[in-house]
Amino acid sequence: MAIPLVPKLLRAHLAELAAEDMRHDGRGRFESRDVELEIDCLTRAEGSARVRMGDTIVFAGVKFQIMTPYPDRPNQGGLMCSAEVRPVAGRQWEPGPPSPQSIELGRVVDRGIRESGCINTEDLCIIPGEKAWQVILDLFAVSDDGNLFDAFALAAIAALKSATIPAERFEAGEDMPLEVSKTPIMCSYHKVGGRFVYDADRREELGGDERIHITLGDDDHVHSLQKGLKGIFTAAEFAEIMNEARSRCAELRDLVDKAIEGE
Amino acid sequence: MKGWLVARPDNMSGDNRADGPRRSQQAPLLVAPGDDLGDSGEFDAGHGVLVMDGRLRALKQGRMNNRDGTVSIEPRRTAYVPRPSDLVIGYIEGCTSNIWFIDIGAPFNAILPMSLGPSKAEFGGIRKVLDIGDAILCRVQEVEENHSSVVTMKGMGLRAIRSGSVEEIDPHLLGRLIGRGGNNLRQLKEETECRVIAGDNGRVWIDGDLGGIIEARNKLNDLLEKAKVAEYGGVA
Amino acid sequence: MGGYGDVQCIDENGIRLDGRKIDEVRPMSIEVGVVPVADGSARMTWGLNDVIAAVYGPMEAHPRKIQRQDRAVLDVRYNMAPFSTTDRIRPGFNRRSREISKVTAEALESVVLTELYPRSKIRVEIEIICAEAGTRCAGITAASVALAHAGIPMTDLVVSVASGKVHDIVVCDLNKEEDNYGEADLPMGILPNSGELVFLQMDGDLSPDQFQEAWDYNMEAAKVVHKHMVEALKRGEA
Repeated sequence: MAIPLVPKLLRAHLAELAAEDMRHDGRGRFESRDVELEIDCLTRAEGSARVRMGDTIVFAGVKFQIMTPYPDRPNQGGLMCSAEVRPVAGRQWEPGPPSPQSIELGRVVDRGIRESGCINTEDLCIIPGEKAWQVILDLFAVSDDGNLFDAFALAAIAALKSATIPAERFEAGEDMPLEVSKTPIMCSYHKVGGRFVYDADRREELGGDERIHITLGDDDHVHSLQKGLKGIFTAAEFAEIMNEARSRCAELRDLVDKAIEGE
Repeated sequence: MKGWLVARPDNMSGDNRADGPRRSQQAPLLVAPGDDLGDSGEFDAGHGVLVMDGRLRALKQGRMNNRDGTVSIEPRRTAYVPRPSDLVIGYIEGCTSNIWFIDIGAPFNAILPMSLGPSKAEFGGIRKVLDIGDAILCRVQEVEENHSSVVTMKGMGLRAIRSGSVEEIDPHLLGRLIGRGGNNLRQLKEETECRVIAGDNGRVWIDGDLGGIIEARNKLNDLLEKAKVAEYGGVA
Repeated sequence: MGGYGDVQCIDENGIRLDGRKIDEVRPMSIEVGVVPVADGSARMTWGLNDVIAAVYGPMEAHPRKIQRQDRAVLDVRYNMAPFSTTDRIRPGFNRRSREISKVTAEALESVVLTELYPRSKIRVEIEIICAEAGTRCAGITAASVALAHAGIPMTDLVVSVASGKVHDIVVCDLNKEEDNYGEADLPMGILPNSGELVFLQMDGDLSPDQFQEAWDYNMEAAKVVHKHMVEALKRGEA
């Protein structure tokens, strides 16, 4: 990823707005952009979702493979999550092997899903020690106008929840839905002009400082946290955004449930 | 202008600059690249039009204009390409001990030699005058054949920009922003009580109190939305 | 008319697996402005193919060694998303993608007025979201719409279509089964306003008559596709 120039004027302007508790696009501090969620949008994937947040657009696709279980866990399948932000998604994303930024994206989303325990890897076992399902979740950015993290995480869980194990194609029984028992949701906060805001767009990311990603499970349990970029924050600031994250995660969870039920 | 088979800048009309016409006009017909626009004997080729085999051919997607015997296309999007004496807003991208490198939003970066800078800098003290990330209002002094350009800050009103906000629009929309005789721009300044300077590279500097800046930015966004509608035959 | 392997691609009435006649093109749609942050973009669905193309630039060309002193370089990347096929594709270096990127760049360079932007770069990104058959054709077609949408001056659009042969019958616009079990594939890149060609590949086995028939099918199909392209550009962003 090319490191773009940060205009001093932009930082000063964002700070000026922050002092008046405003944002450059007129949103409130913890207000999100419009969110669209669509499932089953990729014909060749066994589960898929498309998320649009403002001008940020991402896809998530689920594929299955048969794997040999690891010797130390003979009755467990596997889950793999990878994010690739290809240069299609923005001027700043360059071709070449996955950048540290896109690897971080994939790993943070992966942790939230894995640690929530929403997929029981023992359910993925076909023959202990010999055959098990490997769930592969690929995250793909079409347009990056900021906050790829939340868009990816939302698309990821929706794609998993809509996935069908293609057992007939692999001659391993009948097709069946993938069991996903929980709905982990990520909320990201970016420090812009000295205070945290929710769902920062590209301009706020460019002129902002550190970001914090919080993934919460169904019962408000914390499943993954990540602080990224240069910056210092206080315990009080964290307590504030954690509190905000609880209500926002619940809203987004409803959105996912509705999309899956409406299937 | 007949019988050219290969598209080259020198067989296009003088008006055929890569970054589009500076004034916009009403036009009824939407065209796509490759569309045949008639016989070249009848009309001259303007912006976005090329003469091939005695026929006028569209090079761009947009609205076709036919004014004063010249057929041209008002494009959907343009990229900025510098010309001498353009007023532009740039960002300092880097520097050596006596040169600043400026991003002026063109396919190629510009340089600002210390001798053309805003004030004298001691050797090694160049960043005290203009630092990386600073915005400047400058003029294009020279554009070389290969498109690298030199900018200057010697001149009336050219300065470092230290307050306000810089927005970006496509260069071909500047005509809409400024309006006939500068009417639209004057109105915008009066309504928002802001200083508004539109650079030829499509960067617009808005300075004033915060409320005014936000209002001016919203009006700028409205203008872009209207331009989008007008492009496709709607009412602007 | 007979089966090849165990897949019967055309029935005795000349109807193909997807219900088309042998000279029919798969249904398609084109939409511009699908990548809001790009300078120009287009999405094309063609049969089950789903392709996104985005254009950035002209911009400064890095590294310096790729710069051309007299014109812009077209930096084209064709890529298949991991979930675009039945078996997942591992991301990373891929010889097939490299070759397709190269021939696509050369086809598009034939129409883009690169001389207007010396020493700069125009980035063209082609992403296959869902693949059936003829992804390179859909990619070239979508990319030329995206270039036009980005306001890049070009002498014509490029329409790319592939016809081929299955069970010794020449068919227009191959689908997945015909591509897999067929005997020949002839993708072409056609300039719709002049009928000239900027891209041509072929593999398989065609008699001189069959070759001519496939060629003619492509020329006819190009007219259909071109109509969709122009309509999408004139319709503008949704």
